[in-house]
Amino acid sequence: MCSSSRRYQDILAPRKTECSNFMWASRQLNPQVAFKQAKKPSPQYHKDEVVKCPKIQELLITLSEKEQVTKEVLEGRVRNILDEIGYNKKLKVVRWLAVVLTKICNRICSGIYLNEDAILQLKSQMGTCPVIFVPSHRSYADFILMSFMCFTEDVAIPAIAAGMDFHGMWGMGTVLRDTGAFFMRRSYNDDHLYWTTFKQYVYQLVTKGDLPLEFFIEGTRSRTNKSLTPKYGLILMILRAFFLSQVPDVLFVPINISYDRILEEKLFAFELLGIPKPKESTSGFFKSLSIVKEKFGSIYFDVAEPISAKKFFGPDLDRTLHNLQPIHMQEITDYEKKLIPSLAHEIVYKQQKHCIITTFNLLAIVLHNNLTSGRNLLSVDEIIDEILGLKKVIEKFGAYVFMDDPRKCVLEALEVHNNFVRVNEEGKVTLVWDEIVVGKVNVSKLKAHELSEKTITFSVPFMLLQIYINPTLHYFVDLAVLVLIVKHQRAQSQDELFANYHFLRSLLSQEFVTFNTREKMEFTSALAHAVDLNLLSRNQELYDLGENKQLEEIIYNCIDCFIFTYFVVCSVILELSRVIEEKTILAKVQEEIEIKINEGKGFIHPYSLSLDTITNCLNALAGQNVLTKSRKSGSVTYEINDTKVLFIKNRLEQYVTPAQVLQEKFESVQLHLKNKL
Amino acid sequence: MEARKPVLNQKNEAVIRVKSAVPKNRQDLLKWNGWGYRDSKFIFDSAANEVRFTGQRYPIGDLRLPHLMGWVKENFDVDFSKPKKAQEVPPEEKFPKPQISPENLARITNLDISYSLKGLDRLIRAHGQTLHDIYTLRTSFFERIPDIVVWPTCHSDVVKLVRLADESDMVVIPFGGGTAVSGAVECPTGESRTIISLDTSQMNRILWIDRENLVACCESGIIGQDLERELRKLGFTSGHEPDSYEFSSLGGWVATRASGMKKNLYGNIEDLLVHVKMVTPKGVLEKNCQVPRLSCGPDFNHVIMGSEGSLGVITEVVIKVRPLPKCHRFGSIVFPDFEAGLACMREVARQRCQPSSIRLMDNGQFKFGMILKPESSYLGLILDGLKKFYVTKIKGFNVDTMCVMTLLFEGEEADVKAQEKKIYSIGLQFGGMPAGQTNGERGYMLTFVIAYIRDLALEYEIVAESFETSVPWDRALVLCKNVKEVIAQECRSQGIKYYMINCRVTQTYDAGCVIYFYLGFNHRDVENPVTVHEILETKARDEIIACGGSISHHHGVGKLRRRWYAGTVSQVGVDLYLATKKELDPKNIFATNNLIKAKL
Ligand SMILES: Cc1cc2nc3c(=O)[nH]c(=O)nc-3n(C[C@H](O)[C@H](O)[C@H](O)COP(=O)(O)OP(=O)(O)OC[C@H]3O[C@@H](n4cnc5c(N)ncnc54)[C@H](O)[C@@H]3O)c2cc1C
Repeated sequence: MCSSSRRYQDILAPRKTECSNFMWASRQLNPQVAFKQAKKPSPQYHKDEVVKCPKIQELLITLSEKEQVTKEVLEGRVRNILDEIGYNKKLKVVRWLAVVLTKICNRICSGIYLNEDAILQLKSQMGTCPVIFVPSHRSYADFILMSFMCFTEDVAIPAIAAGMDFHGMWGMGTVLRDTGAFFMRRSYNDDHLYWTTFKQYVYQLVTKGDLPLEFFIEGTRSRTNKSLTPKYGLILMILRAFFLSQVPDVLFVPINISYDRILEEKLFAFELLGIPKPKESTSGFFKSLSIVKEKFGSIYFDVAEPISAKKFFGPDLDRTLHNLQPIHMQEITDYEKKLIPSLAHEIVYKQQKHCIITTFNLLAIVLHNNLTSGRNLLSVDEIIDEILGLKKVIEKFGAYVFMDDPRKCVLEALEVHNNFVRVNEEGKVTLVWDEIVVGKVNVSKLKAHELSEKTITFSVPFMLLQIYINPTLHYFVDLAVLVLIVKHQRAQSQDELFANYHFLRSLLSQEFVTFNTREKMEFTSALAHAVDLNLLSRNQELYDLGENKQLEEIIYNCIDCFIFTYFVVCSVILELSRVIEEKTILAKVQEEIEIKINEGKGFIHPYSLSLDTITNCLNALAGQNVLTKSRKSGSVTYEINDTKVLFIKNRLEQYVTPAQVLQEKFESVQLHLKNKL
Repeated sequence: MEARKPVLNQKNEAVIRVKSAVPKNRQDLLKWNGWGYRDSKFIFDSAANEVRFTGQRYPIGDLRLPHLMGWVKENFDVDFSKPKKAQEVPPEEKFPKPQISPENLARITNLDISYSLKGLDRLIRAHGQTLHDIYTLRTSFFERIPDIVVWPTCHSDVVKLVRLADESDMVVIPFGGGTAVSGAVECPTGESRTIISLDTSQMNRILWIDRENLVACCESGIIGQDLERELRKLGFTSGHEPDSYEFSSLGGWVATRASGMKKNLYGNIEDLLVHVKMVTPKGVLEKNCQVPRLSCGPDFNHVIMGSEGSLGVITEVVIKVRPLPKCHRFGSIVFPDFEAGLACMREVARQRCQPSSIRLMDNGQFKFGMILKPESSYLGLILDGLKKFYVTKIKGFNVDTMCVMTLLFEGEEADVKAQEKKIYSIGLQFGGMPAGQTNGERGYMLTFVIAYIRDLALEYEIVAESFETSVPWDRALVLCKNVKEVIAQECRSQGIKYYMINCRVTQTYDAGCVIYFYLGFNHRDVENPVTVHEILETKARDEIIACGGSISHHHGVGKLRRRWYAGTVSQVGVDLYLATKKELDPKNIFATNNLIKAKL
């Protein structure tokens, strides 16, 4: 996608100038529906249809014989389940929420940007088949903002798949339900009746509903601000209707929502370290909202072109397989299940490519590099220069940087993030450590190791900073891997390079979501970019490091800390017993890293403590059958294949930054820290 | 002059020599490059600036159709000032020379069977009635046409011809009425052997009628309207009325597994057929008795039915006949929407109380039917007026969703009354309202007339075609919706702005129904309309099959739908068919290439 062709409108702007938001919110609506039905279906109609459908009815007959309960009792149970699940639609609530939301946004946001052309184009395509909105998930605000955006653009507000944690929030659950949310219990419970009902409900909405559907393919909010590996459950439920030819097609609309500042940033930083989050309670949620005095900058929606399931699967999909037997008895085939990952990954890929890079993302990279590479801290003017340089590079990769007047943008970014990045007395931009106060932690609620308060205080600003670096990494990661390889192993041929790339990239496949089918392509393109940017140079058949040392350093620093954690994970599990609980590994790895951080022998990036990274590593290893993952009554255990782990550990070791370099870094960071701490 | 000298058959009855409505020289009466009678066609009268239907053969003949033009303009953006006239009949020297050796020609001449080598005779037997066929006739030429046309007059003529062809390695393509819409009649391109078109039209006697058992033995070339006319004279009917029955032949019906409008009362061709003879290179395939049913291994009648000219020539068929019904009444019911109408159809089938015919037009077809109303019968009936009429008179009906069911009842007066009562009461349960006999009758009449409209459409850059399928009840609605959506999508991606896709349910069964689609589009913006149409129809068929529908309910496979044959019958099925083919026709002289491309 050509980044220069992207255009965004601030949909909040008219709200700021109009004299009454109330008039706007109560305007006559004529929303574009997704799949026009002969008669407009009501929320209750959907529930009734689910109860009536042959699949449920036949299940009830079987169950009633098995459990010796009357069918009526069971039907009551299904109705209760449906009442727990089902969405509602109360226009009054929607309008009221629109007003409240406008008020809040006007106060704390400078703008809500949207590529409106894409919405117009999409609207012209809607009406004839189910349309599924698939936004990235970085914040609870995603839910409401999506609906707000639809309301503004006169698109029917979707039925949204939400987790049960919302359901529990008093008041909020009802409000969300009234604006179209339907609720899904967490998986890992095998209540057959519940799941059959839930699946049927989704099927009903897809085949007979007129509203768009919305779900988060990443399954949960990404705490790290980078994409999560897609989950396949809901998308499969949705596609069922297409596989069975009960709808002509399904359009998936990947949407990226980028934030200048994520509402939950602090919570996430804590969570990544393993410090328990307060249970999602209404008070907790509002507490995060009550910071209405703070500024959150802008929010950016980028709606990608819809992906037609029909076109995507093309002739690979033989739908005639379901021609025999009644529809309700049809089961999705294994082959169809195998098709899901490619589509799910495509959606995530599109979400990534449609992200908006903010000024602060670039500022975070520059600042991070200065802090960890012994550079001098920079003044605002200097930092603008570096940001502009970086902007050019990242734009080469197709990124869109939202920045008109650099100075204005940088100052605004500093204002928005002044909770942890500030200009110090000497006029230099730096991290702020002193204002993070960690309360008493309830040990029993810890997810992993109990970090010392000193470690936490030191780490949190780095975690926050990394959260804002992360969204840029999918542009850099392939390049970074190449630089890493050549830097640690010296010049090599393209084939060798690819072999090493393949090793690292597959290991990092959960960390920086990628799908194996794209590997070769991405390698080739990264290599071309690397040469082009003079990161690598080609000497006859061999690739060596190039002259662009500045960029090399930046890029290298981007994934350094990930490699380190992966290495520690491998080392740690080798020392543990053959079968271990996940929690033990998490704690052990964190403990190990904390020791290293405090040893004072070298700079260990605090982000290495991230539980997310550790789990990604474990999942990647499990994906390669190095570990065997199993789940028993809610807790995850791994069985370890020592030989394989050892092999990976040894191979990884070559890429870990040598002690001497770490020592230099340590001194530089200490220097900066001393000024502040 | 009909039967010069009464011939007696084995049963000592007079053979009925039928004087066909269609002459041996077909082109004298029928269009050489379009549908039906030469005198009957839609024309645009530029002086009056309106469209008319010419001739007196059909009830709308010579009446003004004042609503049609506006509708066509609006829906197809047609420019009536620029007609695209079809090419003239090519002069004799333009036709490819017949590829036949003098020896083979001499052998045919020796058989004393009428034949022709004339270009036009060969050309009009080189095709059926697909869009591709007609478009080719109007604008270019077929890659391959028959080299010689022969007109056998009886079973033994056919036996001689088939033996000769087999001995001299010539290809035989049976030709009945030439109404096939599957490409079945077309010559296989790339066939280097001599191709004989075996026209059955002169083999059209009714050999005998068995009043006790209510069956008649007919030669296969008899066409529908002749058969009905002759039987009626004697107080009988076959009850087999495919929409093409004016021109299609008994042999063609058997060879394609045809289905008639009144199958609910009389049955499809497989229900009507009691005995059949097929001449193959290996001899004649037939049974030794004329019994109502037989338990005797696999039924080889089903090898003959649907053989599409690829296994042999059907020469004589014994079919059931019925006494003419005393009472014959049309009817119609309007429904608020297609879903309701379909639900009603399903219920009627569930209760097995279908009248002779029951059909359901969707909203598009309902409207189109209204558009074709001649002025003389309805004053100022434009759609807006209609809107008012229905919205006010029939409360709650939306002109843009409503649809109509047409009905035909036959039987004793009392039976018809009882049937009507039952159907209308079921209709009521589904929100339907009786809408009168004339609407019903018009519906059936239009069926015959609509076939003529394509010829006019082609003059104004609109191509049109129909296709059909059968589908289980539970999948019918979704199938209709999905096919319409696929066509819409595909038109969009082909850059077609003006198109029409609508459908009707034409038959009901215990386990499902038949859906018939009409597709038309303005091809101004596409390069090759026929190719684009083929793409659209292919996508539609893929979708039909994905939705649980069939390759065809009655049009057959021919060459057009070959690509779905193996998928439908399994590879074992293909091999079984090929084995049969190899056994009956080892030299592949019936090289029609229908069903599968047979390289034996
Ligand atoms: C306007 C229109 C409406 C139609 N409506 C219907 C309908 O309602 N129901 C329906 O079933 N079909 C319908 N059709 C399709 C077509 O009329 C039927 O397939 C019909 O049975 C073909 O008969 P025919 O005599 O015209 O055969 P042809 O078109 O001449 O031949 C069809 C195939 O049968 C073979 N064949 C013909 N005669 C013999 C024979 N004696 N022995 C062996 N093979 C033979 C030919 O070689 C060819 O392969 C319609 C077609 C049109 C154009």
